[in-house]
Amino acid sequence: MIEFFRRYQVLLSSFSCLLFAVYILGSSSAGRLQADPVGPLLLEVMRPFQSGLNSMVTGISNIKDRYIAVSDLWLENQSLKGRVLELEGKVNQFRETEATNLRLRKLLDLKNQAFARSISATVIANSASTWFQSLTINKGTKQGIRKGMAVISPSGIVGQIWSVAPNGSKVLLVTDHNSGVDVIAQRTRARGIVSGSLDRGPVMEYVTRNENIRAGDRLITSGLDNIFPKGQLVGTVGKVQENSYGLFQDVSVRLAVDPERIEEVLVVSIERSPAKK
Amino acid sequence: MKLFLLFLSVGFLLVLLQTTLLHLLPLGPVVPDLTLILCVYWALNRPTVATVLGSFLMGYTVDVFSSPILGINAFAMSLVFLITYLSSRHIWVRGPLLTAVIVFCAAWVKVFAMVLIWALFFVTKAPWTGALQYVFIEALSAALLAPVLFYLLSWGENRVQKVRSVP
Repeated sequence: MIEFFRRYQVLLSSFSCLLFAVYILGSSSAGRLQADPVGPLLLEVMRPFQSGLNSMVTGISNIKDRYIAVSDLWLENQSLKGRVLELEGKVNQFRETEATNLRLRKLLDLKNQAFARSISATVIANSASTWFQSLTINKGTKQGIRKGMAVISPSGIVGQIWSVAPNGSKVLLVTDHNSGVDVIAQRTRARGIVSGSLDRGPVMEYVTRNENIRAGDRLITSGLDNIFPKGQLVGTVGKVQENSYGLFQDVSVRLAVDPERIEEVLVVSIERSPAKK
Repeated sequence: MKLFLLFLSVGFLLVLLQTTLLHLLPLGPVVPDLTLILCVYWALNRPTVATVLGSFLMGYTVDVFSSPILGINAFAMSLVFLITYLSSRHIWVRGPLLTAVIVFCAAWVKVFAMVLIWALFFVTKAPWTGALQYVFIEALSAALLAPVLFYLLSWGENRVQKVRSVP
């Protein structure tokens, strides 16, 4: 018996690992995997190295930019870029506020929506795989981050917190095919779900054929998924294709944020406050 | 023990590279799968219980840093290890060209395993629909890097063996 195990130890251990992986998959897909004991540990172990390497890459890139280009112009450019992003974010919010204000004046029970909590974080790593789109940030449970919190930037939404460790978290990007964001077109209030897709890029699904939507329409979060704050810019409609069959239109989306280039994010949770009388 | 620690360190270094530096390459969303190369190396040159567990752990680590579904890469890596190990008993693998071919095929086995798992466990559409071009690029990039990584791993192993043999 012992000789049998010794002779086929590699095969037996391989099959055991395969079965264990299937068990984890089954539990994960059925929602029975409540806690992942190893994942947060791996996040914690890797975080300082990822932070260091990311800082080194950013530092080298910054040195090159600063001394090859004209130093003063670079600094001014960076400052102005930040200011433009900040102002663009404010303009988006003002546009939506104006549109919402006009519409909701005719309705009862106006409720204010505010960020209950917001935590800034830095991106320290990207996805380790081609097939899934995620980021790792340098804040975790110790800083108040919880699974399901929204991750946004001044330009628009980025994703949501998928797993957390004490000092790091994984963000599922909106470009991932597992992601789904409830959106509305700012112009016509047409609703749909924006989800990622590796081959076609982000798409807006479940837009019925009778909805008025066209290229260039701005898409904002509806707030109905209780994850993303309402009115956050998601992107713009790229191309609309009406098929001769089916209930829905094919709508491609150009996201407002390029997840590959993002460096700083804001992690927020939303809370509805009672209407003011 | 020293060899095990070397392999473990290399594994985590490769995951670190996959999550940081390799994203600077102009390959779009494709990230060369260095952990797959390590897994194939282990299956060809060091098929032990420790390296089986190491392959599983590499897949699990990739899951932690990418996939919202735990276990999918762990399964795929374990399957790649098993198939490579079984194949290595019948095929004599030597030389950079054969190494590259083996890794290229292993990349397709990995994607096949992930598609299979997705079809079995999840009702949502798989991310690989229409993504055949990315499979090819990923497999090709892994195959091109394989001879270099194999050489470095082999060199590291020899160094550890020399240190061990010194009285």
